[in-house]
Amino acid sequence: MREPMYEKDLTAMKYAILQSRRHDGMVREIAADIGVPQLRMRRYLMDRFDMLLLENLPARYEQGKKLREDSPEPERQLGAHLYTHAVPIIDEGIMRQIIEGVREMVRNGASLDQAVYSGKERMRKEITA
Amino acid sequence: MTKKTVDVSIPVGPVHPCWKEPARVKCETRGELVLSAEVELGYMKKGIERIMRGRPWQEVMFLAERVCGICSVIHNMVFIEALEKISAIPVPERAALLRVVVNELDRIQSHILANFSYCYTIEHETLGMYLLDTRERVMDELERITGARVTCAYIVPGGVRFDLRPEDALHLRAGMDTLERDITRYMSMFEHGPLISLRSRGIGILTREAAREAYAVGPTARASGISDIDRRLRHPTYQKLGFAPVSREEGDNFARVMVRFQEVLQSIALIRKCLDTLPEGPIRGGGIPGAGEIAYSGEAPRGELSYFIKTDEAGRVVEISIQTPSIMNIEACCHYMLKGVASLADVTSTFVSSDPCIACTER
Amino acid sequence: MTLLQSLKNLVRSRSIHVAYVDVGSCNGCDIEVLACLAPRYDIEQYGIFVHNNPREADVLLVIGAYTPGWEEKLEGLWEKIPDPKAAIAIGNCPISGCLFARPHTLVDPPVAKHIPIAAQVPGCPPRPTEILSAILSVAPTVFRDYEVRK
Repeated sequence: MREPMYEKDLTAMKYAILQSRRHDGMVREIAADIGVPQLRMRRYLMDRFDMLLLENLPARYEQGKKLREDSPEPERQLGAHLYTHAVPIIDEGIMRQIIEGVREMVRNGASLDQAVYSGKERMRKEITA
Repeated sequence: MTKKTVDVSIPVGPVHPCWKEPARVKCETRGELVLSAEVELGYMKKGIERIMRGRPWQEVMFLAERVCGICSVIHNMVFIEALEKISAIPVPERAALLRVVVNELDRIQSHILANFSYCYTIEHETLGMYLLDTRERVMDELERITGARVTCAYIVPGGVRFDLRPEDALHLRAGMDTLERDITRYMSMFEHGPLISLRSRGIGILTREAAREAYAVGPTARASGISDIDRRLRHPTYQKLGFAPVSREEGDNFARVMVRFQEVLQSIALIRKCLDTLPEGPIRGGGIPGAGEIAYSGEAPRGELSYFIKTDEAGRVVEISIQTPSIMNIEACCHYMLKGVASLADVTSTFVSSDPCIACTER
Repeated sequence: MTLLQSLKNLVRSRSIHVAYVDVGSCNGCDIEVLACLAPRYDIEQYGIFVHNNPREADVLLVIGAYTPGWEEKLEGLWEKIPDPKAAIAIGNCPISGCLFARPHTLVDPPVAKHIPIAAQVPGCPPRPTEILSAILSVAPTVFRDYEVRK
């Protein structure tokens, strides 16, 4: 039995995609927003997405950012739609849990910033896990 | 007894009889139903943006054209117009209209080629060959004006390279008349063909919401009812010509091909209008590109094409980033249209209906 | 030359199956190859059939400047084509890399480093008629007396 001819490691090609200027700027922005190291972010994107989605990320990100501004709190600060649909780095179910958690904290008297911070902590855990 | 179905992952490509270019679509299927598709690229990545950095605009101009050989005129046009915007170089009226003429000719040949590919993929070879023959006549017109069939480098800062000679204008007018007659005929053949309908209607549906999410552009988006994304609406020359985009609501393979047919007819009307209003005058004003930074978009045959350019005083390109329409369209196609396609035979035709251009996608 | 051999030569020169593979071009040459199919050039009157299936091909048209994605794959594709076979480089890219052979590029031209090339058609892109005449002039000489030479 021969090895399947076309299955090969795509990491180098995926990295080449992320090196373009638009992609680089986008990765930096997302990494700063969530608060994870850029290298970690790139690694996570490369593992999770196929090459076509990687190519299209900047366009989707720009589109998602516009929608983010119109969404209510705390979804806006967390970027709920942005990170589940436009740049799908977090599963929808987990994002729903995170939003619930943040709402719960606000109800229990925590300030919005504090609650969002802990929500982002969850997102960081998802990405670095 | 129920039929037993198995989940299989079926790769299509990279070398496939129906595809012009290499890409590999891995389809997760249950029986023949496609559940999801994943795309593997990297067969065409030449690193054009990396080559362009630090080079004078005179070189980048030719590299920009070779991002995509099918729609080379619009790459030329967007890059040069971005340079003109940076350095405030005026364009003579006649040159601006000639640019539109050449750009629309390029759009016609690109759309006809896309529709040929679709007809060829659904095995309607007769219509495919009719279309390919018609395309050769459009290429002739393009060659008469610009001097080359593909990659003609017609547009330069401050104008265009060659003037439209009166005999060429006559030839072009006559050519547009035959083209309109032929395309109208092929369009009705496509619209009323019962077997074409079976292979095209209701297959590979892209909903308006999905099109918005993947940021689909061009005919792919216009077939799903989104018409406000046409960049020609924001181009001053097109605004003067009174341009209004076409759109359809169905969002299936049939609608995408029909939108392209309709746009060919629209382009013919635009070219006629340009020829009617073409003023006498110079075609080159001259001008030297200088330092600046701009994000500029134009409407390619496949949709919105954006260039981000940063230049220095000597006109060297310091930073450049190109976003081609195929990226968004193929993404919309593979992650939304292919989901739920009923058979593997429709995978290739749906893929081709989105007019994929892998060379643009990977640059 | 035996009768059988001359019959084979005759048949081979009148039936050329063509496959094309794009190893990283701008797409311009692809569409010029596709334009060869048009009724104007009428490729089938010469017995050429564009097939795009390597396993049934006689002539492989190589387009493009060899990107990293094709490493090991182009050779594999070349092996899959049954003998006798010939590869023709279409356009400047497979010959020299055209304007993609610059610093910081990802391509690795020429293609002749990786598979044997029988003929080259320069141009950016070449005209369909040039591609057609290249196929027509290469095929008979490459395929003539294949069994005897072997």
